[in-house]
Amino acid sequence: MNKFAFFTLLLFTFVTPSAHALNVFACEPEWGALVHELAGDAVTVDVGTTALQDVHVIEAKPSLIAKVRRADLVICSGADLEIGWLPQLIRQAGNSKVASGPGYLMAAEQIVTLEKPSKLDRSEGDVHPQGNPHFQLDPYRVLAVAKAVDARLVELDPGKTAIYQQRLADFSTRWQAAIKVWETRAAPLKGRKVVVHHGSWIYLLQWLGMTEIGALEPKPGVPPTSAHLASLIDITKGGNTLAILRAAYQDPKPGDWLSEHTGVPAITLPFTVGGDDKAKDLFSLFDSTIDKLLAVVK
Amino acid sequence: MNWDGLELSILGPACLAGLLVLSTHVPLGQQVLARGIIFIDLAIAQVAALGVILAQYLGMDEQGYGVEIAAAIAALIGATLLTWTDRKWPDYQEPLIGTLFVLAATGSLLLLANNPHGGEHLKDLLVGQILWVSIGQLIPVAVLSVLLLTAMWFWRGRLSGLLFYGLFALAITASVQLVGVYLVFASLIVPALATVGIAKTSRRLALAYAIGACGYVSGLVLSAVLDLPSGAMIVWTLAGCGILARVLMRFGSGSRTSAVVSA
Repeated sequence: MNKFAFFTLLLFTFVTPSAHALNVFACEPEWGALVHELAGDAVTVDVGTTALQDVHVIEAKPSLIAKVRRADLVICSGADLEIGWLPQLIRQAGNSKVASGPGYLMAAEQIVTLEKPSKLDRSEGDVHPQGNPHFQLDPYRVLAVAKAVDARLVELDPGKTAIYQQRLADFSTRWQAAIKVWETRAAPLKGRKVVVHHGSWIYLLQWLGMTEIGALEPKPGVPPTSAHLASLIDITKGGNTLAILRAAYQDPKPGDWLSEHTGVPAITLPFTVGGDDKAKDLFSLFDSTIDKLLAVVK
Repeated sequence: MNWDGLELSILGPACLAGLLVLSTHVPLGQQVLARGIIFIDLAIAQVAALGVILAQYLGMDEQGYGVEIAAAIAALIGATLLTWTDRKWPDYQEPLIGTLFVLAATGSLLLLANNPHGGEHLKDLLVGQILWVSIGQLIPVAVLSVLLLTAMWFWRGRLSGLLFYGLFALAITASVQLVGVYLVFASLIVPALATVGIAKTSRRLALAYAIGACGYVSGLVLSAVLDLPSGAMIVWTLAGCGILARVLMRFGSGSRTSAVVSA
């Protein structure tokens, strides 16, 4: 390497981090919203999916590849949630910064996941060997992820350490205060039973002390059989069930069908930021979720 | 408007995949249209998918060439079956193809009751994700395309029976996994349909290739600029290019009456 090239490189190494804002690519809206809380305008955030999409499967668009190509940091749920498209997307983008190392952050690796199978058995359906990846509705896990994301932002963009640290402290204070309010408000939900569309509510239910007594899709990804639906009607009717839960992106037909046969209300929860009109950020996501659950408590 | 995705390195592999698919599908499409069996690609693709699911059901690993071979064998068995029905009940070939399609599709669903992972593969096979194509994936398909084109050229004019159905099955099995059924259907039918009535074979083929290439390139560019899913966009631009070609031929028909049958 000649001297000139070396010095140019050296110059860039020091100048670029402060010269341009960090580009963050978030696979899901909840992590985009979290980065916005932690960094505000100090970074640019692109979000790959919306609340109205099933994040297991997404359509390939050229803009997605372009967004990952310019990213300095990719944040996703992980635990194989995006296994169907994220590896291809990163490979196609050809951006080595986010292929592994500090530019690649899987939220599931920052927390303890539930439903981690002790043995891998294909017959159990669409299992995730690293546990259930739908943990964005547990505020404590969100806080743990926030700390990890913030540490990563500091590592990648040390020039703005003060901003990131101050915003994390601010977020933690507001978040912990909000958790107290949510837990107080959600007290009437404790001990109540629900039927779910797909096993994506376990973290929310565990946090609020609720129980799942049945699922429309017993093996996720496999359509239910008639025998299963018949037993589900009995379970739903007999269990003093509060509601049938589904996410904004899920097909309303199975839940409505069960609701008609049992008289138990089916409700659509936002599931992530943008899932309904109210859920505009992480705080209002939890507000709206708890509002909708309380609305069906008699 | 979104100019981010408009990069050769993003759209290039997808475009190459499209041109490879077109290379074999444009001449095959002429045959399919002439025989009036336009749903054969859906049927063969479903049979190939059924083969994949059956292989996994019997315990084959979902990665690797085993799956490809299972798909190709299933497609060839389907092709043999269709050759036989074509000979036995030539008047009912189209309804028989339709029946094979629904049997294969629902057969997959029945097998899937115990094999959810086959479901992801089935979906990939049907919808396809042309943007995820890598250059490495294109090499075996390019080799296969050259072999198929050579075979088609060697037996030109005599492409019938098992030979036609067999070549067709292999071409479809490869292309469906690359770009999905919707694009395969459009690549077969639209260029052939838009060039119906052109008497000279070489001119008809050249125009069909041009329509196909125009459809893929404009579809990829539009999907980048409008930020829409690429596969679906290309189906629409293929149809648009076909209609455009038809309109231009109409205007040009005064001077080149030999080229176009008056509509």
